[in-house]
Amino acid sequence: MSAAVFRAMLLGLVRDRAALAMSFLLPSVFFMIFATIFAGATGEQLRLKIAMADEVHTETSGRLLRALALDPALVPVGEGTLSADEVRDLVRRGTADVGLVLRSDAEPLESMGGFGRAPIVIVSDPVRGVAVPMLTGQVQKAYFSALPDVALGSVVGLVEDQFIELTDEQREELEAGLLDLKVETEDAAGRGETVGWGFQDLFEREDVAGQSAARNHVAYYAGAVAVLFLLFSAVHGAISLLEERESGIVDRILAGPGSTRVMVDGKFLFLVVQGFAQVGVIFVLAWILYDVDLISHLPLWAWTTLLVSAAAAALALTVATACRTKRQAQTLSNVAILVLSALGGSMVPRFFMPPWLQDIGWLTPNAWALEAYTALFWRDEPASALLLPWSMLILATVLGLLASRRLARRMERL
Amino acid sequence: MGSDVVSNLRTSEADAPLLEVRGVERAFNGRPALRGVDLCLRRGEIYGLLGPNGAGKTSLVRAICGRLRLDGGSVRLRGRDPARRPEARRRLGLVPQDVALYSDLTARENLEVFGRLLGLASREARSSAANALETIGLADRADDRLATLSGGMRRRVNIAAGILHRPEVLLLDEPTVGVDPSAREAIHDLLRRLWKDGLAILLTTHDLDQAEELAHRVGLLVEGRIRAEGPPETLIRETFGESKEVAVVLSGPLAADGRALLEDAGLEPVGDGTTWIGPLGGGLDAFSDLGQRLSEAGVAVGELRVREPGLRGVYFRLTGEELPS
Repeated sequence: MSAAVFRAMLLGLVRDRAALAMSFLLPSVFFMIFATIFAGATGEQLRLKIAMADEVHTETSGRLLRALALDPALVPVGEGTLSADEVRDLVRRGTADVGLVLRSDAEPLESMGGFGRAPIVIVSDPVRGVAVPMLTGQVQKAYFSALPDVALGSVVGLVEDQFIELTDEQREELEAGLLDLKVETEDAAGRGETVGWGFQDLFEREDVAGQSAARNHVAYYAGAVAVLFLLFSAVHGAISLLEERESGIVDRILAGPGSTRVMVDGKFLFLVVQGFAQVGVIFVLAWILYDVDLISHLPLWAWTTLLVSAAAAALALTVATACRTKRQAQTLSNVAILVLSALGGSMVPRFFMPPWLQDIGWLTPNAWALEAYTALFWRDEPASALLLPWSMLILATVLGLLASRRLARRMERL
Repeated sequence: MGSDVVSNLRTSEADAPLLEVRGVERAFNGRPALRGVDLCLRRGEIYGLLGPNGAGKTSLVRAICGRLRLDGGSVRLRGRDPARRPEARRRLGLVPQDVALYSDLTARENLEVFGRLLGLASREARSSAANALETIGLADRADDRLATLSGGMRRRVNIAAGILHRPEVLLLDEPTVGVDPSAREAIHDLLRRLWKDGLAILLTTHDLDQAEELAHRVGLLVEGRIRAEGPPETLIRETFGESKEVAVVLSGPLAADGRALLEDAGLEPVGDGTTWIGPLGGGLDAFSDLGQRLSEAGVAVGELRVREPGLRGVYFRLTGEELPS
């Protein structure tokens, strides 16, 4: 008897060709996207966007920043010469993943560090905390491979300071040797090669967020989780349209003066209200349990959440009306939501992804929703900074609603 | 119902067709579903559209609702095309074959929702829902969730949802499928009341007894064509004349001479050939003579019966097939 059930399931799947294709094709696509995301997360394809400021303006500091700019793992952002404050601002806005400031009121780069203020400040956003060790590694690499003469000179300085005093002759030989090493390094750099060695701790970390007690990681994840589950529940609600077609409710409505537009618009309004309430519950929990500062951001949060809910509802209705059967809609929506959420940063922060995948991520409502929530709760930005994400969410809503109205019209004339 | 029919027809504009279907054609994937269907429905009339599953009944209902792209022909509701004119569809009420309602809502809530969807204002939808609940005799169950009502009650609410906006034409697609005899009778009573209130009703069914009981005119739709149309008694008289309908149910194999005898008597096999049906003139004498001849020919007869002819016999004579009871 179980074989009969198996057979019925198999025939049902095989005969719904669109669902069949989606069952096997879409998971493969989904796998490839996730594989790309997580391969990127290993660091092989990761490219950090870095904002750099040089307050020292020495030859050494210039060489270090040039070496970093040429590092294929780093993408410099910001135009012209940046100040330390501009670097902090770029990191806070998320334009740069991480910042680097060579500061003037500290030990020189030529020293080994450890005796005064660190010469290099790494500016980070805690939400991208992983960028700090990554940049630290890249700076160390640049310091010892592009500036071996500086590194070695600082070691000798330390040895002379702590252990033995060099004679004038020894010092002259050493300086000549360091000069040769510098020339050799520059020649090697010209050939695309590196010389140099070693490690050193020259860094200090500075977080641009975390200055306000109300900000914490929960604000990011509240948004990420809310958008993911908002999409799932919106699709579940939108699929009721297909159930109503199968039960004859659509026939009944269309036999009268009503149209599919009435149905699509009614469901859209419901899904927006439902979505707003769902996201509201998550943020209220985040406020009560994790001190996310919902109250002082309430008006902007409410407007943002309304737009996020509207975009999710419009997208869900587009998926439902594009499908002819419930099975198709369920398969397509599951895969679509997981892909959009993965690309949009609901599962893994987009910062982990290769740059091209981050660019694609801007096509998802998740990315704009998270951008709006992080601008609001992390960066504490005013309404003007939210105009772009709001505009994109409104655009997604309008396009999705128009598409679903048009697709639903296929039900009207058979 | 006969005198009611006459008075209702007399007091209405009986000759003005509310619904006119002319030469409607439609094929699905090259397979014709409707092949030039003509149909006319007048005020104060119940029309029974008969046919087996797959005959094209649901397609024709969709064409009347303006939902079907036609390959040919036209549909007019009071002279207007329902496919292009929403105001024409306001004159139409549809009762789908399935119970097309929200099972989590109460009967009243369902009717109020569908009243609004049919274009009624909020207050009007509430009063229409209350009236419809009275009409279908479920006012006392108005606030019960639909899922808790019996199948017959749900069917009545299903009908109520089609009359909220006071349509002139009510289309019912197999309204009594799957209900027990008492629920079926309750639905028949409801349809008679609606007709008395002036509604023109088009009823699709493969229940010939239902059509004979309710309809003033019937049309036999077979493979997308109306094969016969008219008042049931006229169709029966034209088919059987003054004859009765006789049925022979065999209890064993039929030899060649037995088959020849049945064929000579004007009977035809039904289904698997164990039942033969046909007209029988000459009253009870002829019936007894047929029994004797079958006995003499050695035909194994399990049952031999005679009855007044009905639409079932008409349908069989026209199509060579018998619809299930």
